[in-house]
Amino acid sequence: MAVVSAPRDVSAPPATPSRSPAPRRRRAGAARRRAGMLMVAPAFLHALIWIGIPVIAAFVLSFTDYDVLTQPRFNGIQNYVDALSDPVFRRGMVNTLVYAFFTVPVAMGIALLIALMLDTQLRARALFRTAVFIPQVTATIAVALVWLWIYDPRSGLLNAVLGFFGIPAQNWLSSTTWAMPSVIAVGIWQGIGLKMLIYLAALQSLPKDVYEAASVDGASKTRQFFSITLPLLKPATFFVFVTSVISAFQAFDLIYILTDGGPANTTTMMTYEIYKSAFREFRVGYACAQSIILFVFLLLLTLANRRLNGGDSGRH
Amino acid sequence: MAGIDLTATSPRTTLDVVGRSPASRRRLSRAALYVILSVIAAVMVVPFVWMVLTSLKTPTDIAASPPTFLPTEWAWSNYADALAAAPFLTYARNSLVIAVSHTAINLLIASMAGYALARLRFRGSELVFLGFVAALMIPTYTKIIPEFLIVRFMPLFGGNDILGQGGTGWLDTWWALIVPGAVTPFAVFLFRQFYLDLPVELEEAARLDGVSELGIWGRIMTPLVKPAFITVALLTFESSWNNFLWPLLVTRTDSMRVIQVGLSVFRTENDTQWAFLMAGTTLATLPMVALFLLGQKYFVRGFANAGIK
Repeated sequence: MAVVSAPRDVSAPPATPSRSPAPRRRRAGAARRRAGMLMVAPAFLHALIWIGIPVIAAFVLSFTDYDVLTQPRFNGIQNYVDALSDPVFRRGMVNTLVYAFFTVPVAMGIALLIALMLDTQLRARALFRTAVFIPQVTATIAVALVWLWIYDPRSGLLNAVLGFFGIPAQNWLSSTTWAMPSVIAVGIWQGIGLKMLIYLAALQSLPKDVYEAASVDGASKTRQFFSITLPLLKPATFFVFVTSVISAFQAFDLIYILTDGGPANTTTMMTYEIYKSAFREFRVGYACAQSIILFVFLLLLTLANRRLNGGDSGRH
Repeated sequence: MAGIDLTATSPRTTLDVVGRSPASRRRLSRAALYVILSVIAAVMVVPFVWMVLTSLKTPTDIAASPPTFLPTEWAWSNYADALAAAPFLTYARNSLVIAVSHTAINLLIASMAGYALARLRFRGSELVFLGFVAALMIPTYTKIIPEFLIVRFMPLFGGNDILGQGGTGWLDTWWALIVPGAVTPFAVFLFRQFYLDLPVELEEAARLDGVSELGIWGRIMTPLVKPAFITVALLTFESSWNNFLWPLLVTRTDSMRVIQVGLSVFRTENDTQWAFLMAGTTLATLPMVALFLLGQKYFVRGFANAGIK
């Protein structure tokens, strides 16, 4: 406990004379720096081997023709030209953007609405919060299998429920019209919990006095929402956007289970094309080029959002 | 409070127009709120209920069109039969071993790194931190192919020579399943945020008392950021248990499969026996849901903090 009581002495400037002579402090500083380096080292090495080197390798390999079995052969930007002119990969890019549009900005709007509903003195709030969040902690594979069964055209729950209201049954996942919306619905369903949670936490930390002042000034609730709440939510919005975009662009498990990219490539994603190129066709160099394109997409979106939002994820 | 006018779908959304009886109107919008939230909650929960109910149905019930909501006959034996049809318990054990290893390694190594980056600045530490932040941004799919190649050509493992040729390297081993995903930049980042908030006086006092830097981290500072540890532990365990693509790529034999891969293989190999598949899915889901319910407070608070900071 001496440790706890000691700081008071240190922090009271007039009470304590010079703390320690300069040379000793410098030596202590060197020891501290050495300890710092040693403590970062394991994590740093791990990140170097399993993130740093792979990213550089992906970049280098993207300019080669490589099939794992024979030596990589430099072929310039041929892979990029091939990828950008491949109709299926282009389809994957468009699908990824569509999927991201609905599972990020649209889902964020829904999440904010739910968070606003929960940001009141509701008795069952904890229960709602739990219900909305459970899909988030569940494996996407499990989620996808359950929804595969719900979407089952013959014995699935969805067609049964819709049939109850007189709506005709659909072949949800094998129809070129409905496959993508069906996938998106599951994506929103699974990801809404985390978005909502972050918004709810941000809402609950908003200063109450600002609203009181605004009410006194006669600002309507709607006005207050747009001129006070939304701007104050900027850091949360930025964070939710960035993390959601990253996960939306990496949707894979859902596609793998639900549609295998079909029907007729209507639900294939960039990630799915990367997987197919690398691990089904063994066109490793080509797959690396596709993965770099995916990276560039994410980078541009993050930077654009940083610009638009005017802020960053810095402390509030 | 700001929520009420936005959420009520009734036309009476303009609260600034003073109504006849504010109390009754508040009660009405509150009721509407409960209805909307109940519908949302149902949409979120029903798929899980459906999963469990399906796992208890007989083949006749499964084939029924339209389906009955409750099983006409509760087939509890489905679980025993599912376990006999596929080694779900082995899959689950593998997943558990990996998730526990990932959690333990991540807590130790990432907290050490996060602490050092927050409190023990050295030349280049800002750069290292920026490196971790950059690593956060890198999509799995940009690094996964070279990661696979590193594992495949790991020298002196799995029959490989010193140049990584001739064998299968780490493929189909615990090494491949555990090592590459053991430390996450996110955990380093999160720990750093938590350690940053601790008072500097504590650290200096301990140093004057002659506590080693490692001791200050382990015995003085770390007990103060327990929520960070619980949060990182839960998030690491969850993402490890739920991981699919990496274990899919690096495992070949049935005995090395994890639960998520096992489920997807069972689906394709067995012509989708829904009752068994849903029984397996229930087994794969329950541990995570239980863990979440137990640690919800930390989970929610930690995650929200991480999100706003």
